[in-house]
Amino acid sequence: MKKLSLLALLSAAAVTIAGCGAKAQTAEYFGKTEPPSGQEMRYITGSEPESLDPQVSTGQPEARVYLALYEGLTEYHPVTGEAMPAIAERWEPNADNSEFTFHLRHNARFSNGDPITAGDFVYTLRRGLAPALAARAAYLAYYIKGAQAYNEGRGRAEDIGIQAIDDFTLKITLTQPLPFLDGLMAHQFFRVLPQKTIEKYGDAWTEPAHIVTSGAFKVETWRHYDRLILVRDPMNWDAARVKLDRITFYPLEDVTTMMNLYKAGEVDAVYNHTVPYAWVDQIRHLPDYMDKPEVAIEYYGINTTKPPMNDLRVRKAFNLAVDKSALAEYRRVVKPLTSFTPEGIFPKYPRPTGDGFDPQRGRDLLAEAGFSGADGKFDPSKFPASSLEILYNTTESNKQTAEFVQAQWKQNLGITIPLKNMEWKTFLDERAKLRFSGFSRQGWIADYMDPYSFLDLFSTPTGENGTGWFDPKYKAMLEEANRQPDPQKRYELLAKAESYMLEAQPIVPLWTSGSDWLKKPYVKGMYSNPIILHPWKYVYIEHDRSKWNSDPLPAITSN
Amino acid sequence: MLRFIIRRLLVTVPMVLVVVSLTWGLIRLAPGNFYTGEKPIPAPILKNLRDKYGLDKPWYVQYGKMISNTLHGDFGSSLKYQGQSVNTILKSALPVSATIGFLAYVLALTVGVTFGALAALRQNSQLDYSSMALAMVGISLPNFVLGPLLVLVLSLTWYVFPPALWGGASHLVLPVLTLSGLYMAYIARLARAGMLEVLRSNYIRTARAKGLSEWRVITRHALRGGLLPVVSFSGPALAFLLTGTVVVERIFALPGLGNYFINANLNRDEPLIIGIVAFISIAVLVFNLLVDIAYGFLDPRVRYS
Repeated sequence: MKKLSLLALLSAAAVTIAGCGAKAQTAEYFGKTEPPSGQEMRYITGSEPESLDPQVSTGQPEARVYLALYEGLTEYHPVTGEAMPAIAERWEPNADNSEFTFHLRHNARFSNGDPITAGDFVYTLRRGLAPALAARAAYLAYYIKGAQAYNEGRGRAEDIGIQAIDDFTLKITLTQPLPFLDGLMAHQFFRVLPQKTIEKYGDAWTEPAHIVTSGAFKVETWRHYDRLILVRDPMNWDAARVKLDRITFYPLEDVTTMMNLYKAGEVDAVYNHTVPYAWVDQIRHLPDYMDKPEVAIEYYGINTTKPPMNDLRVRKAFNLAVDKSALAEYRRVVKPLTSFTPEGIFPKYPRPTGDGFDPQRGRDLLAEAGFSGADGKFDPSKFPASSLEILYNTTESNKQTAEFVQAQWKQNLGITIPLKNMEWKTFLDERAKLRFSGFSRQGWIADYMDPYSFLDLFSTPTGENGTGWFDPKYKAMLEEANRQPDPQKRYELLAKAESYMLEAQPIVPLWTSGSDWLKKPYVKGMYSNPIILHPWKYVYIEHDRSKWNSDPLPAITSN
Repeated sequence: MLRFIIRRLLVTVPMVLVVVSLTWGLIRLAPGNFYTGEKPIPAPILKNLRDKYGLDKPWYVQYGKMISNTLHGDFGSSLKYQGQSVNTILKSALPVSATIGFLAYVLALTVGVTFGALAALRQNSQLDYSSMALAMVGISLPNFVLGPLLVLVLSLTWYVFPPALWGGASHLVLPVLTLSGLYMAYIARLARAGMLEVLRSNYIRTARAKGLSEWRVITRHALRGGLLPVVSFSGPALAFLLTGTVVVERIFALPGLGNYFINANLNRDEPLIIGIVAFISIAVLVFNLLVDIAYGFLDPRVRYS
């Protein structure tokens, strides 16, 4: 009897699962496709926002919300992710890109109706850099003159290179040429904040009862760990263009729950990298699936300070022995990567190719490095494989990748490198302090749309990049490139620096990430841009089914 | 009785302090900090952060502050969720966990006791076998399997109940069912075992000999003694059910204490961890006390002086 009821239950479950799978494969879309009645968007944004203060929190879940709540001098283009005008109507750099003048529109307002002027931007930057605020993203402003000194408690706020020439003209002076400053200004850290409200309420200024915002939407309710509801802000200078009346952000972390909610039609879109690996094949051919390269990469950092990985030949050998194309095929939603900047993102950037797949050369290099038998050929038994490890933070997906790479090395070099997984924060600590031998998982999402956002990672001597590799010559090459006023010439110099870094092989590049998210066919104006941040004012719900198959380009803000 | 209660309540204070001290020590031992993330933090910013949160002060100063906060019942502000006090978080998350937990407990108790008692009264019958088999399934099926199964059938195949989120009454159904499954099964087995033992005892034979009706024998005499194991199980079970259940809250994306607790640990959010641990330990101690008091009422052999 006992056996029987258990069996009955299991077979019922099996039938349901099988039935469900079969249905999804033949369906036109994934799950229910009933649009919400009005212009209302329900979106899953990732973990619970740390705060609604864009200078205090640094995560992507918050960044997605800030695009609705705050506006900066510039904004991310909904399709390309590049800078486009926002509160600044236009801007011009000086001859060597070390000084930018922004011209602000005259009708920009905060949600309480107060006008937004150049002075508000000056306040915002000074506040973000104040040591007492301890903003974690403050380093992004270090390119601005006097910013680092003030943030370190050495300088004065008045000496920061930001100046309100008049109410609607803002001048930013930099420590070095920075052609991509306009892209950087779209980052949440630089989005304009209400001085009066912050000074009146202190830390409590972000509470729904007090908060004043500068974006196309404003806060209606915030129920922690439940939902954050934003509504259209009639005060916004571009309110006429805003189509959605309301956006509900759900803070959620469990990917299966997200998929369930999406399938049941309880949400209209989910953020990136959310489709579980096991579901990809079932979903990827449906129009719901958003799959474009993202300005993000995955790689293994090598601890270059410990033997045998302090030998360049050994590092090169391990990179040569991983078939990146096979890995990409295995991971399904990514593109193979052999360089340090992502593939297919910066079309004009002459991205170096790096070393490809060549296991024979890898074995030769290892033999050269002294791991050879009597015949002079590489002998795997001579290599201290057990002293190394592939370190990663515990997730199913990281484990699969590590096992794949491990198998590649086993197959191509005859070496088995042990795997080691750790809880997230423990892993970060271990990696930052270089307490591992061999390889550690790393990923990077650009802060702004420029190859420099990647290359800059290796320009500090502190070993924070998790490899211990630093070369002053590399840093000098980057600086020289940034001094170059001609954008194409600058790209060429940056690519040269990237080649130089790849030659030193502090990393094993793995892949360019795929965006990997879902949206219902009735959600329009939301594109799979490389930075996966959506300016919400262009998003709308299309109730006319006949238009579901087209994805019209947005009418972009003009001056 | 009153003296007993007061004495037990007084013991609660040092016990909670021991628990939070141990927790505090464990947090210190765990590598990483609330501000560590994928992107490394440059040294000057790290210094600003450590200054702001007083992380470079000697350990006894930080420990003293934590103990004093705990004694005052004010755990300070969360490190991760800036500008939110731990007490506000407890106040907003507790009702969610408590609602789900309480409903699950009531359901588990009603169904569990009914079937357990019936199974005992009709020992070796079809009803006994089938309800105990079902109870076995309930015990063996972990909630992270039961939850998704219920979602698959009731949300994705038939679209009867929403698969997750916190909202109206329909949002309660699946989490409550998932959460109660294990407890229901456990209570059914405990009730059956307890009842079987009592039904064979002398005082039940006496009751029957006095000529009492079977209904009266069972409700007045057998159940009181037969349910004692259920009562002692209920104390800690209620404490855990009401203060949040990590798995169920995560599967169903509920804004309860369990979700906060697991993330507070992953985020190394010290004040929040301490606040929740203190709260849960108080709950466990209080519920155990309640169980002991209930014993006194249910079983005439147990009386406290």
